[in-house]
Amino acid sequence: MFAIEFGENGDILCSGRLDASQCAKAQGFMDSVSGPSVLDFDQLEYISSAGLGILLKTQKRLVESGAALRRINVNHHIHDVFRYSGFHTIFEIEAQ
Amino acid sequence: MQKKFARSFDSLGAIYAFTEEILASGNVEDAVRFPVHLAMEELFTNMVKYCPENDNEILLDVAVIDGCASIALTDYDVDPFDVTAPRVIEAELPIEGRIPGGLGLRLVQQMVDKLEYNYHDRQSTVRFTKGSG
Repeated sequence: MFAIEFGENGDILCSGRLDASQCAKAQGFMDSVSGPSVLDFDQLEYISSAGLGILLKTQKRLVESGAALRRINVNHHIHDVFRYSGFHTIFEIEAQ
Repeated sequence: MQKKFARSFDSLGAIYAFTEEILASGNVEDAVRFPVHLAMEELFTNMVKYCPENDNEILLDVAVIDGCASIALTDYDVDPFDVTAPRVIEAELPIEGRIPGGLGLRLVQQMVDKLEYNYHDRQSTVRFTKGSG
């Protein structure tokens, strides 16, 4: 099960497994993000390249408008995925 | 253990459950399970994306030997596509130069221990292993 929502502090909270079958849900939510935002992946268990594609697409759109996704809390497995894909250079990442 | 799955992203939940049950019963450690599930998804979705007109199910074979996971995916009546061919991503490019896509097989190649591809009689089989070492 994958869930994405705004937290009380305005952070974007993701939880569960973001695989290719959940991309429409994730993309629909991220398309509504319009300003500088914090992604909190504390409860995200899994992400594949399909999820990375959504993050990249969103980040490119926000950067063009002068904003960005500013920080992502990630578990060590997801941290490895970011590192192997080179996403650690385009997202500010805080490993747990 | 073998099982066939419909050629659809909607199969991913069932594939995860099927694989996770076997990995858990084989006492495969968490550090191995994550890359196994990731490689499984990337390879399966690759088969789905590049042959959407094919109605054949995809065969999954999952085994655990001494804590090492051995996975095979077999696709029927397809053109060859060697997933072991080197994939280069420009990991140091600034965001302006990045394009979505192409990451999946690169991640597979980096995160599994062994990756093999076999093609004959219009049948593609991808096999990979991942162990604790």
